Amino acid sequence: MKRDKKIRVVVSKVGLDGHDRGAKVISSLLREAGMEVIYLGMYQMPSDIIKAAIDEDADVIGVSYLSGEHLIYTPQIVDEMKKANLDHVLFVAGGVIPVEDISTLKKMGVDEVFVAGSLTEPIVKFVKDNVRV
Amino acid sequence: MEAKEWALKVRRGDRKAASKLISAIENKEKIARNVLKLLFYGTGKAVSLGITGPAGVGKSCLVSCLITAFRKKGKTVGVIAVDPSSPFTGGAFLGDRVRMMSHTRDDGVYMRSMATRGYLGGLARSTLDTMRVLEAMGKQVVMVETVGTGQDEIEIAQIVQTCLLVLTPDMGDDIQAMKSGIMEIGNIIVLNKTDLPGKEKALLDLETALRFRSPAEEGWSTPIVSTSASKGEGIEELMNEIEKHQAYLRTGEGLSKFAFKRAEKEGAVLLKDEIERAIFHGLKGTGLRRRYLEKIAGGEIDPYSAVEEVLSRFIKDSPQESIRPLNQKKAGG
Amino acid sequence: MGVKKHPASTNQESSMIWEKYLDAYYERSKSTLTWSGLEVKEVYTPDDLPKEKYQTDISDPGDYPFTRGIHRNMFRGRYWTRREVIGMGSPQDTHDRLKLLVDEGGSGLNTIADIPYEMGLDADHPWAQNEVGLTGVCITDLNDMETLTAGIPLDKVSWSLITASTAASVTMAQYAAVAKKRGYDLKDLRGSVQNDPVHFRYCGFKPACPLDLSIKLGADVIEFCTNQMPLWYYTTVNLYDLREQGLTAPQEVAFGFLIARLYVDEMIRRGYAIDMFAPRFTFYVSCHMDFFEEIAKIRAARRIWARLMKEHYGAKQPASQKFRFAVHTAGCSLVPQQPLNNIVRIAYQAMAAVLGGVQSLHCCSYNEPVCLPTENGHTQALRTQQILAYETGVTNVADPLGGSYYIENLTDQLEDAIYKVIDEVEQVGGMYEAIRTEWLDRKFEKEALSRQKELDERDKIVVGVNMFATPMEEKTPFGVQRIPSKSARMQIESVTRNKKRRDALVWKERILALKEAAMEKKNVIPYMIEATYAGATTGEMMGAVRLAMGYSYDPLNILEAPF
Repeated sequence: MKRDKKIRVVVSKVGLDGHDRGAKVISSLLREAGMEVIYLGMYQMPSDIIKAAIDEDADVIGVSYLSGEHLIYTPQIVDEMKKANLDHVLFVAGGVIPVEDISTLKKMGVDEVFVAGSLTEPIVKFVKDNVRV
Repeated sequence: MEAKEWALKVRRGDRKAASKLISAIENKEKIARNVLKLLFYGTGKAVSLGITGPAGVGKSCLVSCLITAFRKKGKTVGVIAVDPSSPFTGGAFLGDRVRMMSHTRDDGVYMRSMATRGYLGGLARSTLDTMRVLEAMGKQVVMVETVGTGQDEIEIAQIVQTCLLVLTPDMGDDIQAMKSGIMEIGNIIVLNKTDLPGKEKALLDLETALRFRSPAEEGWSTPIVSTSASKGEGIEELMNEIEKHQAYLRTGEGLSKFAFKRAEKEGAVLLKDEIERAIFHGLKGTGLRRRYLEKIAGGEIDPYSAVEEVLSRFIKDSPQESIRPLNQKKAGG
Repeated sequence: MGVKKHPASTNQESSMIWEKYLDAYYERSKSTLTWSGLEVKEVYTPDDLPKEKYQTDISDPGDYPFTRGIHRNMFRGRYWTRREVIGMGSPQDTHDRLKLLVDEGGSGLNTIADIPYEMGLDADHPWAQNEVGLTGVCITDLNDMETLTAGIPLDKVSWSLITASTAASVTMAQYAAVAKKRGYDLKDLRGSVQNDPVHFRYCGFKPACPLDLSIKLGADVIEFCTNQMPLWYYTTVNLYDLREQGLTAPQEVAFGFLIARLYVDEMIRRGYAIDMFAPRFTFYVSCHMDFFEEIAKIRAARRIWARLMKEHYGAKQPASQKFRFAVHTAGCSLVPQQPLNNIVRIAYQAMAAVLGGVQSLHCCSYNEPVCLPTENGHTQALRTQQILAYETGVTNVADPLGGSYYIENLTDQLEDAIYKVIDEVEQVGGMYEAIRTEWLDRKFEKEALSRQKELDERDKIVVGVNMFATPMEEKTPFGVQRIPSKSARMQIESVTRNKKRRDALVWKERILALKEAAMEKKNVIPYMIEATYAGATTGEMMGAVRLAMGYSYDPLNILEAPF
């Protein structure tokens, strides 16, 4: 019987930002890479995302930032993850993020950042290589 | 974590423990079975609802309304939302939850999205077990929302007490042409999106279709409830019908009949799975499976004989005679 | 500056790179398709352009069907308006940036609403607090609007207010309120308000833009301006945002026009003759990377709109038939990798816009993919336009590409393709149905996915991303725009203060009057103006109208109505 372990990814947007093109596209691409994507949509607060990650036993949390809010919400998300003992969960961010902020985000606790214009393969590879299952 | 400790945590309502257990079930981990054994006792009492129907009829929205309604009555709710896995990539887009996000902040609600993972019934293979977990967690109402592809509507009816079949007015002639099986399994038919044109005709078509099919349950005439889930209309009426059906099950033998049906399903599925697993486990590493498949493909042996040969390695008697327990005497002379 | 020195700093390395480029160029099969997938020949000849076509389909600039332009002399008559979109931080910050640009030569003012404002939220809404001023300016009360417009002679400027959602009704009311208070006659005001709530649901503002509310408020603004502000452009139907979702050129025009028709049909339903309001319909269009396709798209759009107005709606005035548009160069075509390349992309797109005959142009800032424009970025964008206008000579002649065998053929092809998409929508029951059933949502998702796949599979090349890629730069050239968090806090404090200071009785009376007017299906703008004078805020006014139409007070369902 085939191994049934699938990578479960929660994809979400945070705050008021409603640009969901990237989030929807990445969800489709991850699905095509064989992952189970739980799409949370828009208008989520960090606590909402973590709640969903717990109930859905997510292996990865993916957040799409398109309105400059990444430095505001990332610490909140990481904080909630710590509180819920979700340190083993991969945290990936993407979207409109200046290159200077990438190291800042990583220091805050993001595992990897994929800016707009990224190709699919590196994203999928990163998740598959780094997910702690 | 040991099975005992795990089961205890789940019973205490620990969300993480429950969520990890569901994953273990989905991943077919051995320990899951041991925990499930411990959790079994005491379950089977929760109200179980199935919500099924074709894609796009508004099931998730309806489920969200029902969650709100049950919560108002002080009931805790568990929801399993099933979506299909891609047969080619094995991945899945689980997008039902997004329509129920208003309940994320309510601790009395637990939602889990599941992919069918190749299971053809429209349910996920782990759905049954997961229902037990949700109940063991303390959820008084367990809802299962499924993919409505045509086959699965029947499956879900076997595992929930009250099954809602959701349709919309713009299904038009499809209602007439619908497979008879579908109409028979809905305990309650919900006509959603009644703000759309064609409501009257759809109601007429449904009533006609109902009249011509044999009642699935004696003493229960399937009602048709009109709703507009996006506006929250018709939910009260729907809840009344659900309550009525539940009451109907409780008077008579409805509940025990249902429990028996469910046991049948659970037991039968489990048995089939176990046999399959055992046999394939036994074949592992022998190369036999490949060899036989090549022979069949090459036309050297027919599939029936091949299977007989394989089985004869595991079972003493050939499949042509009945397989009986090893300690029973042969019947007849 | 910290810009990483390019690894090829020797002549030998440079020529190796050039060789690589030539190899890549020759090995790839030349594309026989436009960006949107239309087939094109290797070369076009006079046979592709029958003489009769000129009279029927092309005509002179300024003549029906306006394929070659809506004015006879185009840019010789008047340069396109150079507007740069501004809006960040508090009303004060935005005001300061406006002054800077007016001094640098910008000839029109352009301010954009931030996300909370577009959602119809006040700056002190619990969810807005993190995001006020991040991507635009938030106007909550009369005071905010006064700060934004302080010291600017409203009758001497042309002000473009970019609020697209249902909140555009509030923006219009707030602007009119300030203008009246300062003694201006509304009839003298020039400018525009984007006011295209229907399309905005596809830009992530669904909760704020339910379909029926969108059409009602959109039409209320159009109606108000038609009656009271004759020099105002009351809608800029936004094809650009649709294109940004990943659509093709024909889809951009087709869906955009169908949305425009929703407003037109509503105005007709209210009893207005087409020639009464059509002359002030304007459009916002994208200019993407396929140079000639974009020019052809614009020409085809002019022809189609003209025919639609004349033949379908019976418009008699040429002004009603003219497709007036502004161009926003395509943000989605820019990438953060090798950011200076974006200046080149923007320049090509700007040229396409000008050759297409644009009325007003906004050039992206090259660091658009990573942040809001910095001052340098802004200025660079303006310079791009100025070089185009003053150095290249492309403005000397109207529709310089008219008569090109390729361009005329491509224009026809675009026209056909657009009509095909319109037919597709008719098949599913018309635009209202397509939106209501989320058919359009699914279309967007499908196209967005296709664009990504094309990138992954190199069906479309983006230099620096899937070809000629280099390691990521370590710094954004010329820096990143950061919003000072102090501004947001100050604005929130001001809003809270004003709420306490206002006369509660008058406020309540006006708000309830607004709600009642909405329930009676009246035009709400005058009521919003009165309510604004009484200190009513954006969130309160939008909430009142939402309640009247059967929706929740707060699009995010967090706040309850305070009245």
